[in-house]
Amino acid sequence: MPQPDNNINFDDLFRYNYRPLCLYALHYLQDADLSEDIVQESYAALWEKLQEGTHVLNRKSYLYMMVRNRCLDHLRKKGIPTESLKPYDTYGIIDDDDAQERSQTEARLWTAIDSLPEKCREVFIMSKRDGLKYEEIAEELNLSVNTVRNQISKALKVLKEGVHKLYTFFFA
Amino acid sequence: MSDFEDKHLDFVLKHYLEGRFDTQKAIQRFNEAHGIVQKPRRRVLPWVYGIVAAAAAVVLCVFLFRDNGQQIQLMANAEAQEFVLPDGSEVTLAPGARLTYKEKSPRSTQLEGKAYFEVARDEAVPFEITSDGAFVRVLGTKFMVDAGSSVKEVYVTEGKVLFAKSSDAEGVILTKNMQATLSPEANVPVIAVETDVNSIAWQRGSFIFDKTPLRDVLETLSEHYKMSFAATDLDKQLSGEFYAEDLDLIISLIESALDVHIVKK
Repeated sequence: MPQPDNNINFDDLFRYNYRPLCLYALHYLQDADLSEDIVQESYAALWEKLQEGTHVLNRKSYLYMMVRNRCLDHLRKKGIPTESLKPYDTYGIIDDDDAQERSQTEARLWTAIDSLPEKCREVFIMSKRDGLKYEEIAEELNLSVNTVRNQISKALKVLKEGVHKLYTFFFA
Repeated sequence: MSDFEDKHLDFVLKHYLEGRFDTQKAIQRFNEAHGIVQKPRRRVLPWVYGIVAAAAAVVLCVFLFRDNGQQIQLMANAEAQEFVLPDGSEVTLAPGARLTYKEKSPRSTQLEGKAYFEVARDEAVPFEITSDGAFVRVLGTKFMVDAGSSVKEVYVTEGKVLFAKSSDAEGVILTKNMQATLSPEANVPVIAVETDVNSIAWQRGSFIFDKTPLRDVLETLSEHYKMSFAATDLDKQLSGEFYAEDLDLIISLIESALDVHIVKK
């Protein structure tokens, strides 16, 4: 087989790429359930191709392409003009490769957040997402400010390691 | 933070919910939807059997390998074989056809034999097919190239294609349902006045006739199956779609439809 990608069996293709693909779709759709549906459909389309005996030479990029096309189709059906729609983030337009890489980074962050102890995750989300001050979190959860500070620095440490420890998390 | 950026974390946290994007659940959902029964680890997935069966059916006729210089070569020996190229373009190779490209530039291909293409759109990178004495450039479309014999042929089912002798030679632009041929002594392809939908019968898997005289029907069949036919009442007209798998069935259908007798030679 010409590309290392093709040595991966379908199961692993799912395991490694499902969450990044969901996040990739989420950037277009801003709708998590719909993103999951579209990723499922794209895996099903690839599955059918393989069942028919078609040789798909780069399965991973084929998956990304199908997810993107389905997202754009969906937006078009809703009447949103997509001619100028490129993968973008809050800082501007980025290209396809960067968009794939971004989704992988985000998936690792997502996985790392999943792996946090429940209390630690709760504190972290209240601080980083909801923008609460340490004092406010401490009061709300009946903890000391010092504990809140420790939990947040612990969470950040796990996240930083998490973006590197791809395999640990995905095989877990 | 050096390892990831705040914008990544912001996006993730905005959508994060415990249990959302759960890969294990997604795998279960997929397996249930496709009737796959989960077995313990190290199992061979059903799709692997599918591939093996398909591979056996085409009698080991597909080779994928890497030459030096990272050249990728696709082949179909006994039966038409479909491929999805790295750029997402789909190619059906007719029996005996061969398509090669450099791993670095999968949209610059060389073709021997006959192939049907559905090219993924990418306006920045044109899709090109070169064969001995013919050149085709496209921007996302469906078409057939027959580079198998000395007369090269292109048939377009959708989109727009440039067909020329070489990349710098004068060419013709073909659009939907147009067909052109290029003979070795000509410099510019000639557009066919009447196009033949059955040019891509091998790819579509069926023949389409519309009040076609039996004479022309038999000519189409003899081209496809590489054998000759004789029949009575060659002027009778045939309409309908016939599936290409079984020649004997097609013949008996035509015989009863037109009340004629056809003999294979």
